Amino acid sequence: MKKPNFIVVAGFLVLFCVILSQGKVLSQSTPQPKASKVNLLPVRSPQEITASLRALVSENPKIARLLTIGRSSGNQEINVLELAADAGTSGLPKEARPAILVTANLEGLHFLGTEAACLLARKLVDGYKKDKTITEIVERRTIYIAPLLNPDAYTSWMTKVKWERMTNSRPVDEDNDGQVDEDGPEDLNGDGLITMMRVKDPEGTFLPDPREPRLLKMADPKKGEKGIYKVYSEGVDNDGDGEINEDPAGGVEVNRNFPHDFEYFIKTGGLWPVSEPESQALLRFMNEHQSIALVLNFSTENTILNLQQTGQARAGADRVRVPRMYASFLGLDPDQEYTLKEIVEAMKGLGMAAGMEITEEMVASFLGLGPAVTIDRQDMPIFEAVQKEYKELINKAGLDYPERRAKPVEKGSFVAYCYFQYGVPVFSSDLWTVPEPKKPAEKDTLTPEKLKKMTSEEFIGLGEEKIAAFLKEQGAPGNFSAASLIAMVKSGQVTPARMAEMLEKMPKRPPTSDEEHPDTYLLQWSETTLAGSGFVNWKPYKHPTLGEVEIGGLAPGIKLLPPAALAQKAIETHVDFYLKLIERVPEIEIQEIRAKNLGEGVYEISAFLTNSKWFPTSTAQGRRAMTSWPIRVKLNLEKGQQLFSGRTTVTVPFLNSGEVKKVVWTIRGKKGTRITVEAGSPKLGKTASTLILP
Amino acid sequence: MLKIIKINLRNTKNVILAGLGLSLLLAWFPVSSPAAEVKLSFDHFYNHAELTKALQALAQAYPRLITVKSIGKSYQGKDIWGVILTNPDTGPAERKPGYYIDGNIHGNEIQGTEVALYAIWYLLTNYGRNELATRLLDERTFYIVPTMNPDSRDVYINQVSDPDSPRSGLMPYDDDRDGLADEDGPEDLDGDGSITMMRKKVAAAGTGTHKLHPDDPRILVPIKPGEKGDYLLLGEEGVDNDGDGLINEDGRGGYDMNRNFGFNWQPEYVQRGAGPYPFCFPETAAVRDFILAHPNIAGAQSFHNFGGMILRGPGAKNMGEYLPADRQVYDYVGKNGEKILPGYRYIVVYKDMYTVYGGTIDFIYNVLGAFTFSNELDQDPLEALRPRRQASEEETVDVRAMLSQQGRVEEMEYHDLVLLGEHFSPWKPFKHPLYGDVEIGGVKKFGRRVPPTFKLAETCHRNAAFCFYHADQLPRLEIVKAEAKKLAQRQYQLDLSIANSRVTPTMAAVAIQNKLHRPDEVRVEGPKVKILAAGFLQDEFRGLTQPIKIRQNKVLIENGVPGFGRVNLRFLIEGSGKIQVIYDSLRGGLKSKTMTLE
Repeated sequence: MKKPNFIVVAGFLVLFCVILSQGKVLSQSTPQPKASKVNLLPVRSPQEITASLRALVSENPKIARLLTIGRSSGNQEINVLELAADAGTSGLPKEARPAILVTANLEGLHFLGTEAACLLARKLVDGYKKDKTITEIVERRTIYIAPLLNPDAYTSWMTKVKWERMTNSRPVDEDNDGQVDEDGPEDLNGDGLITMMRVKDPEGTFLPDPREPRLLKMADPKKGEKGIYKVYSEGVDNDGDGEINEDPAGGVEVNRNFPHDFEYFIKTGGLWPVSEPESQALLRFMNEHQSIALVLNFSTENTILNLQQTGQARAGADRVRVPRMYASFLGLDPDQEYTLKEIVEAMKGLGMAAGMEITEEMVASFLGLGPAVTIDRQDMPIFEAVQKEYKELINKAGLDYPERRAKPVEKGSFVAYCYFQYGVPVFSSDLWTVPEPKKPAEKDTLTPEKLKKMTSEEFIGLGEEKIAAFLKEQGAPGNFSAASLIAMVKSGQVTPARMAEMLEKMPKRPPTSDEEHPDTYLLQWSETTLAGSGFVNWKPYKHPTLGEVEIGGLAPGIKLLPPAALAQKAIETHVDFYLKLIERVPEIEIQEIRAKNLGEGVYEISAFLTNSKWFPTSTAQGRRAMTSWPIRVKLNLEKGQQLFSGRTTVTVPFLNSGEVKKVVWTIRGKKGTRITVEAGSPKLGKTASTLILP
Repeated sequence: MLKIIKINLRNTKNVILAGLGLSLLLAWFPVSSPAAEVKLSFDHFYNHAELTKALQALAQAYPRLITVKSIGKSYQGKDIWGVILTNPDTGPAERKPGYYIDGNIHGNEIQGTEVALYAIWYLLTNYGRNELATRLLDERTFYIVPTMNPDSRDVYINQVSDPDSPRSGLMPYDDDRDGLADEDGPEDLDGDGSITMMRKKVAAAGTGTHKLHPDDPRILVPIKPGEKGDYLLLGEEGVDNDGDGLINEDGRGGYDMNRNFGFNWQPEYVQRGAGPYPFCFPETAAVRDFILAHPNIAGAQSFHNFGGMILRGPGAKNMGEYLPADRQVYDYVGKNGEKILPGYRYIVVYKDMYTVYGGTIDFIYNVLGAFTFSNELDQDPLEALRPRRQASEEETVDVRAMLSQQGRVEEMEYHDLVLLGEHFSPWKPFKHPLYGDVEIGGVKKFGRRVPPTFKLAETCHRNAAFCFYHADQLPRLEIVKAEAKKLAQRQYQLDLSIANSRVTPTMAAVAIQNKLHRPDEVRVEGPKVKILAAGFLQDEFRGLTQPIKIRQNKVLIENGVPGFGRVNLRFLIEGSGKIQVIYDSLRGGLKSKTMTLE
């Protein structure tokens, strides 16, 4: 819980970011080229982005509006573009149509996400009345697009000196000394980049990586290694407390400030959930727009590929013990575990309900079971199906995306909030990540594709060594040994095909190799694609308090800014994919109403409700969180008609894709009179259908 | 008082009489105190307009000691009053330890407001007369929000309601998730000013769920298996306003502001009433801002009703118990509180009551590091008469009977003999649009959770006294030693000792562990004075010190001054002439001493 001290933080930074050149010889052999030679994704200023949104609105006043939903902690506008045709084809006002929220750049430096959200807006506007699908989206849905949700951090990139700051402008006393923002970094060597400083120190814990001497690694005393350097970020000790850059400008990372699995006592996440004006503005907006049925996000998280959640799955979360005090009364054994359903049955059996419906959610809340921490079993197929399609799509588009680098949600992330609390399907993509150098595939190297087609005998025949190499490459946990795997295959517990299937579902992680420095691929990316501009060679500098230091390392932004052409392709592909998902948001339909004559003036009325779209009408988590709505089906009778059986308003919990559900009433009414059935929910819109009694 | 009750415990009538006599005495006493310039009565519940008037009168009479300001508006636009009390002549408000009080966050739990008002009134009218009141206003600053929920307060006091509502604020809330908010609340069908209960005698004998109590027909008892009942209990007075087949399923509001605070906040499905995200209601946001604006607040109280409890957190066990060092402070104040509040139990929310996520007191303690209690004002008048059940007995309590029995014989006797029937509505016949012939009656809104007015003054005084005690137990610092010894030309050894004569440390353990606020600091100021070295003096005989890092002529005291403890420091300084040594604690106040180096 303690705030890590700066040396440790710097240490981690270095492990992941610092690049080391071996003195002058190397820096001469790879002269540092100018960054301008590589055409990277251009970064527009927040003013330019806002101006382009305003232009889009003024050119298309009938479908576009710009809403300011709040201001950042640095007092910048936070805007949401609303896209919906004034005259929709469903006859519903804009705020009653099923809505989709597209969010981008809560982290502040995810420039790709901002551009993708803007392009999505542009495509909807340009395709309206030209493209059939898009026209239907604009007429039957409302799309809210928030392309820049952390303008403070974004703006901090627009200064001359580049530094990766993902925080908003809230003044925070990071080092707890009673002063705020008094010691940030300085560009000492004047190259416009905040990189790292290394200084020889008897207490140093870093040394050049033997395999890639430009990179620093933590010394491992067990291997007889001894540290040489202490490492700091570039800057001076502005407040004379002996520490460097320990309290820079800015305060809270907005994307860690949301209330699902929020991490308390970490200053960068905020003091409490939704403490920041940016997160408040967004959640206020979402709560005032309960029609939002799908959230599509752009951030460095790729939750389409990586479904891993932050929470620790609790053993037996769906089987619980009943407190003694209630157990005796419910006739349950306090020492035994029950499913929620069993407890509900026990309560119903006792007539506790007294007309009220007892749900599993109520029992869970009553017994204090706490929040959900994993994706609900019933919702998993939706996420898996989208993942499968997405993988095929990026392969087809030729996007070189190293799947195992897909980042899962962080604690307090907006994406997690959307699913676990707001209760809607949510997808997040980072669009692009630094590709890994292709290793020439040896002929007999095992791959998941080969594994799939292998027989058990062929697998065993590979031998322990090859299987071990394969496991390492796949990032399998250490306790997964080749020998144990072979034994399992031998005993028939698992087949190679099943193994391949499991591997696909497993969260991908970087290889467990301890030989290669984890940043090697970045260095190679810099050399192969960025003409070396991705890192700064170590050069001596005379530091006011540290004395002789060397400044150098990874250039800020290397992971954020792809070459423009690559960016373009990634953005186009993802925007088209998101448009496809938008199309799939359900609305409620009444397929048919039937009246069966049961006798003189007595009718059985059946209404058939259906969901012809791809997504279910609500997620299981939304139902558990009580933030989705059931479908309310209402029978409207004319004067003289009477309801004989059934309730006027019937609720249908949900409809899966393609599912049809029947609602039945018995009424008394005269032939030729009319009945109307209405169905709707805030996230599904509303529809009505009329029938003349035959 | 404590003694009298103990002696008479076996005799119900005597206890009531003794309590009555004493309470009357107490009620009479403050009003007649001679120095009172503002007369306020504490046998009365103040609605928001009356409260405003009372505060304004106090502000006019004691302009030097009191500031009354609006800290925000309620949902309906009423001012939420924040009162600041201190004697400015003894130092700026922010540089004294602060004590925070709020009341009435739950709209129906009204008497916390009277206690808060009483505390303000008592301190002001007794400043200069009573030693404690004088010391508190000289040495501490009080931050008091008499009512956090003026909207619901006024509904409870001036409109029809029942004892348990409106607990929420009045922002419309769709309780039954039908797309409409607040569309089907209860109605006062019999026009007695309160929402009571409806019951019906069934047409076919023996088909009901309840029967009349053999000793008192005002009480309905649920039937046991095999028994026959002639009555149905139909719930609160009201009709089905929205035609959905349900009665009173979506009344005013429907959320719980004491589940809306930003520590260990949990969503609605884990914690009912939490609201969509922390501090989303104007009242909770206003109070948060008021508290955050005064970082000197070191202790706090949030008044609720009822049950006679002095509660501390944690509200839920998922994030662990409070740190042991802080628990000792709580225990010290809480146990002494039981002496001030006879019959009240000092207990822990999650362990001894029920689970509360996102409560006020957990926020103030865990996010700000201030020691916070919540008093559940007033014992159940019946509980005070009976020995409390043992924990082992509670396990076998028939929960169903507890939930569905309407009234108890002792309760009826209390209503008849003590309250003289004022707060009970006898069952009266009524023609209900849906149920036909029903009876309406039961305990009226003031009849259960708030004290009868003859006991209100006692509630006010004892609970204010507990707050005064707690406020007095906030850190009380003194620089007990400041000695300079010349070592060389312009070089001195300076020994400082800072003592805390109260139980509360200047920094709570939770604040130290989680770095919730800046630590205390020591500065040495003067022309050309410079700290060369500094350390904690651990052994004055051997002169052992543990070094402290120096930053720009100040040192940080990372762990503050412990309760009933002291910090001994040794400095090596360079300088001469007059210097000032300053002990500057965010929560514990500012102390300084001037001395001459020679």
